[in-house]
Amino acid sequence: MTDRDVHVFLRPLLRTRSTTWVVLALSLAGAAWLFYGAFYYQFFEGHQVTGQGTHGAMWGSIVANVVQLIGVSHVGIAISATVRILRLHRYQQLARIAELVTLVSLTAAVINIAADVGRPDRFIYNVVFHGNYTGPFVWSASVITAYLVGSSVYLYLAMRRDIYLCSRVLPRRRWLYRLLALGYTDTPEERHAHERVVRWCAVIILPIMVSVHSVYGFVFGLNPGRPGWFNPFQPPYFVLGAIVTGFSGVVVVAAALRSIYGWQEVLPHRMFKGLGVFLGFVTLLYLYFLFAEILTGVYSPPEAEHGVFQDLLFGRFARIAWTATLGGMVVPFWILFVQGAHPRICRTWVVVVAAAPIFVAMWCWRYLITVPSFFHGHLPYRVVEYAPTPFDWSLVAATYAFCTFFYIALVKLLPILELPEEFVPERPALPARIPEYRRRLFARGKRAAVWSTVLLGAGLIAYGVSTRHDIRAPSPAIWIAGILALWTVPLQICLAPGFALRRKAARAPPSAEARPARPPPAPRPARTPRRPALPAFQEERP
Amino acid sequence: MPRWGMVIDLDRCTGCQACSLACRTENNVPFCGEHNAARGRAIFWNKVIAIPGGGEHAASGRGAGPKPEAHGEGPEGGEPSRRPRLRLLPLPCMHCDNSPCTKLCPVRATFRGADGIVMQVPSRCIGCRLCQAGCPYSRRYFNWQPPQYPEELGQALNPDVSLRTLGVIEKCTFCVHRLQEARERARAEKRPLREEDYQPACVEACPARARTFGDLQNPAHKVAKLVRSPRAFRLLPELNTQPKVYYLSEGDWLSEAAESAQGGMDT
Repeated sequence: MTDRDVHVFLRPLLRTRSTTWVVLALSLAGAAWLFYGAFYYQFFEGHQVTGQGTHGAMWGSIVANVVQLIGVSHVGIAISATVRILRLHRYQQLARIAELVTLVSLTAAVINIAADVGRPDRFIYNVVFHGNYTGPFVWSASVITAYLVGSSVYLYLAMRRDIYLCSRVLPRRRWLYRLLALGYTDTPEERHAHERVVRWCAVIILPIMVSVHSVYGFVFGLNPGRPGWFNPFQPPYFVLGAIVTGFSGVVVVAAALRSIYGWQEVLPHRMFKGLGVFLGFVTLLYLYFLFAEILTGVYSPPEAEHGVFQDLLFGRFARIAWTATLGGMVVPFWILFVQGAHPRICRTWVVVVAAAPIFVAMWCWRYLITVPSFFHGHLPYRVVEYAPTPFDWSLVAATYAFCTFFYIALVKLLPILELPEEFVPERPALPARIPEYRRRLFARGKRAAVWSTVLLGAGLIAYGVSTRHDIRAPSPAIWIAGILALWTVPLQICLAPGFALRRKAARAPPSAEARPARPPPAPRPARTPRRPALPAFQEERP
Repeated sequence: MPRWGMVIDLDRCTGCQACSLACRTENNVPFCGEHNAARGRAIFWNKVIAIPGGGEHAASGRGAGPKPEAHGEGPEGGEPSRRPRLRLLPLPCMHCDNSPCTKLCPVRATFRGADGIVMQVPSRCIGCRLCQAGCPYSRRYFNWQPPQYPEELGQALNPDVSLRTLGVIEKCTFCVHRLQEARERARAEKRPLREEDYQPACVEACPARARTFGDLQNPAHKVAKLVRSPRAFRLLPELNTQPKVYYLSEGDWLSEAAESAQGGMDT
């Protein structure tokens, strides 16, 4: 395989079409509006420019959007981690596409949260340094930090080899990739260390991912004062909703990349068929959750709950609810079911046609979780109906413009597909020659650094948690520092020199042909039974 | 340590809203303009809501106020049982002992003081509105717009209460600045705090003497006796928020209000 052969995987980095520039410019304009609208116009005019109000919906479309984006961010890493842990080779190329979706949507979600709070100028500082440990917002800040930093570390380490290869095979911007690769030279020992570390990161990230969306379920579910929200079912419901949203989002993004860059062979129809089957399954599961929630809400509910669910099913929200459920979930589920069950239907567009309405329907359901409850308080106030204003809609649209801009920028800067494992560049970088005694010294130093960081991180988290009642101690800042310290561990292992693993392989040259084959496993000695055989008379027993 | 609480006698309340006015003046509550008031953004630390009682309920549901024609009919009009009646419910912050808002606040901008008053620190608030969403009594107000004060009121602002900025939450504090002042005075005069030393503005202003304020734990205070009255009740006790604002009324009021509020009101 020559350098030119892998250019097919690196198409976005080689050439940019004029339409891409146009889309980039438009989405940049949208992103600029997001920042101007949220952090200048709204900041000085107040949230009166939205449709929200105290005796009306105090949270509206932006909160729905936050939940949606957090949901999308979920699945990127979920797909990637599952692919890595279960070694699903068919979906391997989807991993980074999905990881970048995570990075983009999580950033957009944090920007949306900042746009929704009244004082974005103080919100991060106050939450981190004056945080109240009982507030779900503080939990959210902690887990989102863990997730954002963790997924960035994971993304970087999983991508480091490809960045290094870019610096060897691409005609342009080699300096950038050389800089980003931070000295990686793709020696077998480096590669082995990265694979191991990335797999462990995947194992660690999966529960963090579940926690991020559970926290959003708790933001709603822990409010006894809000009919329709107070429900222990919310966290799993939100996690499932996130999986549905995220999968539908990733399907659409992957299909778009496939058609734009002509990656029909890299992202084959079969892969989309498999994704469609899974998406159909989780959509059905979501419908089941929805049914359970609505049945509880209409069967014999308390008065306020009754009001919420009547409004949802037959009142002012009925049109959105029924359209979203039937058009955005039931019909797409059947499309996905038929394409999954029928052996001859194996087309990407069929899955996309089903996934896109699911994404929109999930947004609608986020809205329907957030808003109707405000119309049915426990006390009989005069309630002003909420409808998102053009400004609300413009912020929602601008958020997706920001996502588009950020995603295109990442696709244009980073290798979005994994290059084949067996590929070796024509002119590989020479690994640094480190004498054996120094290598050992580095390895020992690294081990000491890693363990002391683990102790420091765990200690900081424990100390932060133990000072949670002390209003003078910035407890969340302490435990977030601990989380950040822990996330430097994979970086230390992979970036610092001194790989003491597989010393034999380390001496070998980095080319694939010359890489020593793994010695065949020694034949196992015949197992000797630990227990002595039973005496003959016992064996004869019936 | 005292446990400050309030008792509101609904049978005495005439709905004059003097409490709301006194509260606005005492606490520098900002105005929001007609447009924003119509959008449900007006701020009332103390709000008197009217509940149409007895007769039919307005079509748009529990949130609706009384129908205009209800005022037109005099007490003589119609059968006594179908006579439209208006129930009034003054609502300050409930200062719950088990307050959802203080648990939800991510930045300790709201917290329960040692004497049970649920405090609000506007300069620390980030405006996330979690406390507002979590308050079952909807007694928290967000500054949706830059605070407005008519020019005439410029000289009348209370220097003891800080003005709030755009984008933060504010709420009734039982006029805690008066407590601070009363405590200082009592300390200077080397005597214990008396009941009459600390009274919120709404209590002082009520012409019908419907409101009583004091230490719920001090048997010498009137509130301590009143809360043991068979007429006493609290709003939404099933939510276990344990409010320190008690209401007094005959059962008749409660059953009708509960009916008109479609069961939302607890009896």
